[in-house]
Amino acid sequence: MDQFLLVALNGLTLGSIYFLVASGLTLIFGLMRVITMAHGTSYLLGGYIGYSIARASGNWLLGALGAAVAVGLLGLFIHQVLIRRFQDDDLRVALITLGVSLIGTDLMFAAFGGTATQVPIPAEWQTALTLPSGDRYPAIRLIILVLAVVIGVVMWLVINRTRAGSIVRAGVDDSAMTSATGVNVRVVFAVVFVVGSALAAFAGVVGGSLFPLLPGQDGTYLLFSLVVVIVGGMGSIPGAAIGAALVGLVSQFGLVFAPTYATVLTFALMVFVLAFRPQGILGRAV
Amino acid sequence: MSTLPNKGEPITTTPSSPASKRRPILWVRNRWVLVGLVVAFAVLFPWLVDRPRFWIPNIGIRTLWLGTIAMSLVFLNKYVGLLSLAQVTFAGIAAYGVGYFSVTLGLPYLLSIPIGILIGTLAGFLVALIAVRTKAIYFLMITLAIGQVFFSYASQAIEVTGARRGLSPILREDYGFVDFRTLEVFYYAALLAVVLLYLLCHYLANTSFGFALQGIRDSPDRMAALGYRVNRYRVAAVTFAAFVASVGGMILVFDRSQVDPDVVSLGSTLDVLIAAVVGGVGSLGGVFLGAVVLALLDNFAQDFTERYQTLTGVIFIVVLLFAPAGLAGVGGQVTRAIRKRRDRAAPPPPEHQEPQAPVPAESAIQKGNQQ
Repeated sequence: MDQFLLVALNGLTLGSIYFLVASGLTLIFGLMRVITMAHGTSYLLGGYIGYSIARASGNWLLGALGAAVAVGLLGLFIHQVLIRRFQDDDLRVALITLGVSLIGTDLMFAAFGGTATQVPIPAEWQTALTLPSGDRYPAIRLIILVLAVVIGVVMWLVINRTRAGSIVRAGVDDSAMTSATGVNVRVVFAVVFVVGSALAAFAGVVGGSLFPLLPGQDGTYLLFSLVVVIVGGMGSIPGAAIGAALVGLVSQFGLVFAPTYATVLTFALMVFVLAFRPQGILGRAV
Repeated sequence: MSTLPNKGEPITTTPSSPASKRRPILWVRNRWVLVGLVVAFAVLFPWLVDRPRFWIPNIGIRTLWLGTIAMSLVFLNKYVGLLSLAQVTFAGIAAYGVGYFSVTLGLPYLLSIPIGILIGTLAGFLVALIAVRTKAIYFLMITLAIGQVFFSYASQAIEVTGARRGLSPILREDYGFVDFRTLEVFYYAALLAVVLLYLLCHYLANTSFGFALQGIRDSPDRMAALGYRVNRYRVAAVTFAAFVASVGGMILVFDRSQVDPDVVSLGSTLDVLIAAVVGGVGSLGGVFLGAVVLALLDNFAQDFTERYQTLTGVIFIVVLLFAPAGLAGVGGQVTRAIRKRRDRAAPPPPEHQEPQAPVPAESAIQKGNQQ
């Protein structure tokens, strides 16, 4: 297969996973102006829960749903108990959730150990599909790519074309005014936080099907989703998509052309974007 | 710093230093008495413990470098309103500087130490050029990400940093008149450096430069309108904080006798942040209390629990939830609570009209008023 096409596809599928993680983060940030540093923890915990359920039941989809629900509930708990009172103090929320991630790392290590685990995928996904160019490419990666596109489009439609979405957007622009029109902004906040956490958990199951789940990935994915939302622009779903695709492509092409410095290149991309557009590619000026 | 133009009236900032207005002389005197007591304790420390071989390096020296790096974080947060997670990275870059010039190139330490500090400070300057373009929470994320860039670089660039193995040995030497190989000498040298750095931070905060920084923290727009180049001041402050962290990095590297990627890992970043938050983000000296707590936890928690990190995380969150000014602020919190109760006991005020607004000085994190 043409190396360029292969690397580009790998980059896009990697970007799909980044998008799934980062879209939850950008949603939470966009509405609540708080950054949850426990987002990587949601990713890894989701992956582990999905792995346990999928292995016990033999059903991948059940694992993904179970992980999303379980981590969503955990997100609800974290939001209600730890975050809600300090809504206006974004740095404090960032630090509290950092504490949560510290605890999460340790407990997940205790529960799941240090060995790599991979979410079992259905046998029919373990084939290769023939691309229009005549090349063959793993089906699972293409499924993930399509899944990310579908979820991205659905999220965009819900936010931009529905009543629920308009409430969310109004909350983003002016939560006090939205609340004055009779919307219970607190409930909106809680729902968005739960959806964001559930998305990260879902991404964990998807990512855990493609790459092994390992301790330390919570930190890695937190950082990558931060880079994605910084590059793409805070609070923007299309921005997260562009950011994720760029980060995925840069890291894969980096692996081919400068293997030692692939990670450094990814962050260099962020620095480059910031130097010219501090608010990110599609971000609104702050 | 005195060459900086001092335009307009000196800026008096109220939110962070109201205490100095209320109880001027007594408060200042109390603070220096407290500093004196802490330094006296630190000086006597090697003779107060039962096993100096264990206590001096594991608690004493570790507290000194962890506290110094955390102090640089607190300086930035308290006076500039920026929360930087790259301080341990600057310290690590300085440590790698010493490692590279002494281990790889064979330069004597007397040369490589100033070079290392210079490189760490320069790294702070370069990071500041990018990072000060962003504010508040963005600044935190940028510095966190930049720190991780350096971590991944350090763990991969085998020809410069020695990758995972790092650079070693970086050993303390005997210079005839002082023998740094003995733990006590090293400890006192480090203590002296730390005390000087503390005084320097404190002095700088009270110069016209420091006042300008605090003005920028509270109202960047107004300061810009007064003719101050806001971002230049921020860059200068970050560079200075990187210098402080770099000196902390020197103590660190000679304590560990080597430098490897663990020094700049996410875990080390969190250690520094925890020391700062637990000690008190509003207090330059309080961080050393946080550093002591962390060093003690690190060494003794494993005796009664396997989940040392969970315990640290729980303490971190509890401090953030209930003592936002850290352990250094607990005293003030207790006094306020007692006073409030006494006030309430005298005339019974209507309960539901209690103002709920938090006292600004109590806030853990200075956000600055950045749009």
